[in-house]
Amino acid sequence: MQNSQYVIETISLTKVFPDWWGRAKVIAVEDLNLQVRPNEIYGFLGPNGSGKTTTIKMLLNLLHPTKGAAFVLGGTVGDPKISARIGYLPEESYLYKYLTARETLHFYGRIFGLPASVRKARVETLLEMVGLSGMGNRQIGTFSKGMARRIGLAQALINDPDLLILDEPTSGMDPLGTRQMKDLFVELAQRGKTVLLCSHLLADVEDICDRIGILYGGRMQVEGTVRQLLQHRDETQIRTKKLSEPALERIRQIAAAEGKSLEVENPMDKLESFFVRIIAKARQENQRTSGAEVGTGIQGFLADKPVTRSGVLDQLVSVKLPDGSDVEQAAPVMETPQAVSAAHESPDQNVLSRLVEKPQEVTTESVSTPAPAQMQEAPPVKKSILDELVNRPDGGQTQITRPQKPEEPDHA
Amino acid sequence: MHSIWAVARNTLSQALRMKIAVVIILLMLVLLPIMGRIMVGDGTLLGKLQTFTSYSLGLISFLLCVLTIAIAAFTLSNDLKRKHIYLVLTKPIRRAELLAGKLLGIVLLDAMLLAVFGVAVFVLILLIWRYADVPAEQRLKTQAEFFTSRVAIKTELDKAQLTRRAQERYDKLKEQDQLPEGMSFASILGELYGQESMKEQKVDPGQVKEWSFENVRIKNPQDPNAVIFVRYKLQAVSEPPDQKIFSRWRVGDLRQFEVGAQIKTPVPPVDRTDTVRAAQEFAISASVIAPDGHLGLAFYNDPTLNQTTVIPQDVEVLYKTGGFAGNYLRAILLIFVRLIFLAVVGVSLSTWLSFPVTILICLVVFFAGLTNGFIVDAIGSLQTAVGIIYSFTVKPLLWLLPQFDGVYNPGSYIVEGRTLGWTFLAAAASLTLAIKAMLMLLLGIVIFNRREVAKAVV
Repeated sequence: MQNSQYVIETISLTKVFPDWWGRAKVIAVEDLNLQVRPNEIYGFLGPNGSGKTTTIKMLLNLLHPTKGAAFVLGGTVGDPKISARIGYLPEESYLYKYLTARETLHFYGRIFGLPASVRKARVETLLEMVGLSGMGNRQIGTFSKGMARRIGLAQALINDPDLLILDEPTSGMDPLGTRQMKDLFVELAQRGKTVLLCSHLLADVEDICDRIGILYGGRMQVEGTVRQLLQHRDETQIRTKKLSEPALERIRQIAAAEGKSLEVENPMDKLESFFVRIIAKARQENQRTSGAEVGTGIQGFLADKPVTRSGVLDQLVSVKLPDGSDVEQAAPVMETPQAVSAAHESPDQNVLSRLVEKPQEVTTESVSTPAPAQMQEAPPVKKSILDELVNRPDGGQTQITRPQKPEEPDHA
Repeated sequence: MHSIWAVARNTLSQALRMKIAVVIILLMLVLLPIMGRIMVGDGTLLGKLQTFTSYSLGLISFLLCVLTIAIAAFTLSNDLKRKHIYLVLTKPIRRAELLAGKLLGIVLLDAMLLAVFGVAVFVLILLIWRYADVPAEQRLKTQAEFFTSRVAIKTELDKAQLTRRAQERYDKLKEQDQLPEGMSFASILGELYGQESMKEQKVDPGQVKEWSFENVRIKNPQDPNAVIFVRYKLQAVSEPPDQKIFSRWRVGDLRQFEVGAQIKTPVPPVDRTDTVRAAQEFAISASVIAPDGHLGLAFYNDPTLNQTTVIPQDVEVLYKTGGFAGNYLRAILLIFVRLIFLAVVGVSLSTWLSFPVTILICLVVFFAGLTNGFIVDAIGSLQTAVGIIYSFTVKPLLWLLPQFDGVYNPGSYIVEGRTLGWTFLAAAASLTLAIKAMLMLLLGIVIFNRREVAKAVV
């Protein structure tokens, strides 16, 4: 089946929308050569009307290309064998409004031909995962946009897909859900799945994507890894716990010796992290909500496939976790203080990743040593994803960072 | 298969949660008992049952047809319009399977509703029968003519022979150079044919006309109480003032008279007074049928009673071949065939037409089907000049139209107690479904497979 090394490959893909007389009216996509490798999160960016959704529709065989071809998992989506391995979350909720959340998931599960027992188990775990287990019997029509979005995500995962195509996945989601979704995508990629993430929420893309491509006017403008495109190669960031004034002075001297100046700040929380913490606190006080609840972590049925990621980060991970995959199966919810999150290439570990990425250039590498130690201390018990989020320290923009509560135990 | 089933279940719940199905169910469950109560027909038990059955079956058929059309036109076009289809077609399902699933869902709904209403009408019929306060004679008549399933053997004019005779007379007139002036060949021939046909059918005062029927095989010939029925209509050349015609019939093996041999089977006389132009029916013991299945029928226009020439028409012999329940079931199935056809038309059209256009065409097809005979006759009687254009354009389209009237009207079978045979049902189903509906469906699948389901949005 798979006759190419790419999960998604388009060859000179072009879509022209003709007017009523058949004359070319709008060129939506032009000569697009998109290549998404296995097991990566590809961020597909572009302003409104740049052809992102049109491209996705052609990948999914909902539109026919005017010229060129699109291959997904080595075939086309019209073929049930290929479709069975894809999960698709469209830009809006296209769910049947008269079905309840549970019926919706059962409906899609039936199309995949999942046996009844498997289907039932998956539906329940997915409902729990997206935080709607209490609302399984409510009709989709009564859901808010974000809640419908969560069901949309659940239906995209019901077949344990190899490829996830996500069109604006976080639109309409609250910050908590957004954060959870992003973590989920990272986790899915870790489990060997490929994700095509289409968005114009740049922060989301920056946080989690391995590679990005920017589309404008139907043409690919630039493509590359996030690190390649965004890294400040002429700056160094150091992060540590609060240092004494003399210690800071000495570091300043070292920097001055190299002819560089030094800025020192205390890192700020991102608003997202702050928000997540407030909600967690309210939840601990058992306040009731009619809205979505916080979901649980990734579910066990989403297959854990051998990951073939390359790069320094993996080496880092493998050093610490020689038997990493086993650990992951034992505790599906990754209890990850900084170090492992860095391995996930999560957003807030820029410092760490930069440190490891450029061992040759950076002289202050030794600062990163606490990370492995922390990882080993991490309790292997399953905790809620929220605790993890709350405990996660933030990088911010400081040169020398002092995580405010890096070692703080889960106060949940 | 599982994907077809998934779509079918979804379509079914969609239809049930669209309030239209519920409304129709409630409407029927209120209307049917009321109809059973207030309908009286001609005042007899038979008349009441005939009227009730005719109207209730008609109403069931009509409402379910409209419901089927509405759902069939709605379900796929709504999926396309509201883009539900994006999430369905990106799953492992072929487009033809999606259509099949939609159809299966509608057909299941129809089957359920038809079963409910069919049983309701059946129960009401039995209730009317049970609680009717009428003399025993009426009950017997009802049992013989309504709660039965009878096959009819019709007499038909030998059209080929009549045409030949008309042609011969035309040739003779031409030979003698006596052709009327200013008339076309066709109209002269038509006139002559009419005369010959009249000559063949009419019975002058004092004359006798005979018909013979072969293969009259009743269900249980040994039963001494078994009866057969003679059904006919009488026309009068000059109508008697009281609209009454006296007729004397002899029913039995008339061949026995010709040979002069001894009479083995009875040939009883039947004397009747009938109203002109109305269908008449009398019953007679089945013992009149000859052992080889032959049955003769003679009509004598007695000059002492009638002064006018009588034209007996639609003469037929009916005999019981089965029970009422089986016949009723087949009549319901004939409605089911109609519903499936409409479902196919609706779903097939909505693969490429919007909801309003689809429902409009479906309704036109439905009403054309109800008046199929009329439409075909009306267009068929156009002048020969447009005949060629007609044969290549409208005629194939008309052929595609379903036929819900005439012999395809299930109500008439039940009302007249006639057998709607399995063979006929199978033939109707295969013509309507296997050929006409399949053609429509294939067209729909081809179009649906080729089209883009997403709209051009940039």
